[in-house]
Amino acid sequence: MDFDSPEEKEFPGLYASESTSKKSKEESDYSDGEHDKHSKKDSLLIGRRKDKKDKGKDRGYAALEGESSPEEELDTKSPSKSKKSKTFKFTSSKSKEKREKSRDKEKTDKELKQVEEEPQKDKDKAHEEKEHKKKDKERKEKDKKSEKKEKDKKEKKSKQAHQDDVSAEEALALGYPVFGVSVSLATERSRCHDGIDLPLVVRDCIDYLQEHCLKCEQIYKVEPIKTRLMHYKRLYNNREYDAEVDELNLPTACSLLKLFLRELPEPPLTTDLMARFEEVASHPEVTKQQEELQQLLEQLPKCNRTLLAWVLLHFDAVIQQERHNKLNAQSLAMLLSSTLQMSHRLMVALLCHCNQLFPDVKLIKYVPPLTSSSPKLPEKPDDIQTELRKQDSLLSQIHSEMNAGFITKKREEQLWEVQRIITQLKRKLKSFEKKQEKSIEELESTAIATTSPTAATLTTVPAPVPVATISEDTTDSKPPTNNKKKSIDLSAGVSVDEVSTTSVESRPQIDSPVAVPEFIIDKISGYVLLPKTNPHRDELLRLQIEYDELIAWQNELKARILSERNEVFRLKQLYDQKLQRQQATMAPVPQPTELPADGDYERVIEHYTRENALLEHKKQMLGMELKEEKRACIALQVELRMQQFQM
Amino acid sequence: MSKKPTAGPALHKVIMVGSGGVGKSALTLQFMYDEFVEDYEPTKADSYRKKVVLDGEEVQIDILDTAGQEDYAAIRDNYFRSGEGFLCVFSITDDESFQATQEFREQILRVKNDESIPFLLVGNKCDLNDKRKVPLNECQLRAQQWSVPYVETSAKTRENVDKVFFDLMREIRSRKTEDSKATSGRAKDRCKKRRLKCTLL
Repeated sequence: MDFDSPEEKEFPGLYASESTSKKSKEESDYSDGEHDKHSKKDSLLIGRRKDKKDKGKDRGYAALEGESSPEEELDTKSPSKSKKSKTFKFTSSKSKEKREKSRDKEKTDKELKQVEEEPQKDKDKAHEEKEHKKKDKERKEKDKKSEKKEKDKKEKKSKQAHQDDVSAEEALALGYPVFGVSVSLATERSRCHDGIDLPLVVRDCIDYLQEHCLKCEQIYKVEPIKTRLMHYKRLYNNREYDAEVDELNLPTACSLLKLFLRELPEPPLTTDLMARFEEVASHPEVTKQQEELQQLLEQLPKCNRTLLAWVLLHFDAVIQQERHNKLNAQSLAMLLSSTLQMSHRLMVALLCHCNQLFPDVKLIKYVPPLTSSSPKLPEKPDDIQTELRKQDSLLSQIHSEMNAGFITKKREEQLWEVQRIITQLKRKLKSFEKKQEKSIEELESTAIATTSPTAATLTTVPAPVPVATISEDTTDSKPPTNNKKKSIDLSAGVSVDEVSTTSVESRPQIDSPVAVPEFIIDKISGYVLLPKTNPHRDELLRLQIEYDELIAWQNELKARILSERNEVFRLKQLYDQKLQRQQATMAPVPQPTELPADGDYERVIEHYTRENALLEHKKQMLGMELKEEKRACIALQVELRMQQFQM
Repeated sequence: MSKKPTAGPALHKVIMVGSGGVGKSALTLQFMYDEFVEDYEPTKADSYRKKVVLDGEEVQIDILDTAGQEDYAAIRDNYFRSGEGFLCVFSITDDESFQATQEFREQILRVKNDESIPFLLVGNKCDLNDKRKVPLNECQLRAQQWSVPYVETSAKTRENVDKVFFDLMREIRSRKTEDSKATSGRAKDRCKKRRLKCTLL
């Protein structure tokens, strides 16, 4: 297998040492965003070779931009080129005056030439050092690009700033690779924004193979063009991969996944546990084997476990299609066990049990956060929320990387774009909420009337405290409670405060109708009860209970929205009042009850509103979770009540 | 949705800065959607894009509305770096916000490292002139010191709202043509030299 990256060949253990010994340091760097430290380390670690070869040129280039003399420039140029320009200078303008005049022009001219020259030079070098050819070229191209970019700006910037920028740009190309670092770092750097902690490159490869290639006979059997593979590696290392522009193909996806796994500095099963895994693999008893594997897997770091789960489940999907791709567990393990840095036997064992070992993992296709080129934003509030969370995750990653010194034009573009999408999504959500509010307002009166029979259930679920009020030392929170009371009064007059009493509450209501064997409408709950012999009894009952629970939930949410709205109204009034009072105090009219200085009111109100907004954001995040929990809760509630009717 | 900036018309990137509650978002929303929002809701960061006609030429404007609160100062630098022009907003009814503009100016200059970056000093809430705390001449003095234009606006009445954005875009545009002149001039030079070289050879 000749997929080792050139870097590794040249500096054996380069990545390994970085990711193991410097791991903790780097991780802290990451969040700290100490730019200097990081770029220094960069040039030390990865750009070492670069330093040697390119620093001179870079320096010369930077000097060029200042007040450098022509001699200096010539030093940095290749001999052939410098000769040319010299002769050209003499023949074109023999008089000194002219020469001096043209010097300025010359300077800029040379710069451009130098930029052009670079690829040429590069080729020469490549002949000498075939091994480094690709990488060098890539880097050169990057440099060239960055230098061109810099050139546009340079007139605005001092020399110092320019050099800083160049080093920052280099850091991008080399500083935060995804390949060749530990699983946790790779996961952190190349995040999936839908909450699954898997390096994006692994996810993309698996997604692609799962979708297009499971039945292909070439799967894991063909090698891609090496330049293409390296191209993708670079794209992922630089976070420039765009599914729409560079679609993977079968050989590339297979090999990229293998490359990632092989370049991990530590086996995915970790060095510590490796021996024990191998031991278990040689265990003769199959059932025991599974148990022990399970135990060992639980000791793995979470990201390692996720990675293994995805990779193994994907491999399992491959061998499920043995008919088409002619790969079974044995042959696949033959091909890939070394990639996973484990023995053939262990891989077969893991493949054999993988469905039982990872029952919680499902291979879900990754839908990356939308970009401005995506057709359109989601319409439903739930979808908007999901998308918003993805975008938030992406945004925070961009920010943290930028703070750590990972700054490029492209990254900046992306920052603005993501921000724009978030703004649009938020506006959409807001307008949707407004619409909702309006329709609820219309429904309000009818809703209260119609739900009165089931209002008892409504009250059993405590309305979550409106978030806004937490930050307030509530002076008057009557509007929401008033509302509640209304519905309570309409019901049997039972007011229940705790959820735990729900089951106790409902039992007495239910007991009586069950005793009657005829078709009956339950007086208290209002349910249609069929005779016990009727086969549809359960189904009907279940539907009714479910209906009630859902209605209750709906009401609860409505009540909550109403209370929130009242809260907003109240806050606004409070704000207005204070504002008015403040104005009043500014005018010479003294306020009998309020004495503090004018500025205080505004500050107090501002403080509270700000707090509210922050909490509101948190609430949105929690809201989704709440909903899921609630759903589960309702399902259980239904079961519970079904049981009671059965008794 | 918006096209990619390279393919579409010229794109100017504007950043709103200033203390919390001075009306950066209000100005932005008024410019973008002709709406005035009464409720105060602190911004973390928002970004907008709009197509406008600037002196007969269709251009796109990207507006980044930043947080006034110090809580978000950490992410502000990332945005400042990519801004091409700045609207530094304060409220004429709040002296503290006026004093804070000094800091914002310094921060921008530190990040951009360019004294002549397109920049407008904007005194917002000029509809509340009776509650003015910052005298007009003081504002003008500061603008003079920085050699930037000073404009008073009202997001509520829409007074001068378009003006500040368009003035800033004009500055950005002229700044860009200056820059490109410089570079294209160089390119011309190169062509000349090349031709000369050919004749020589």
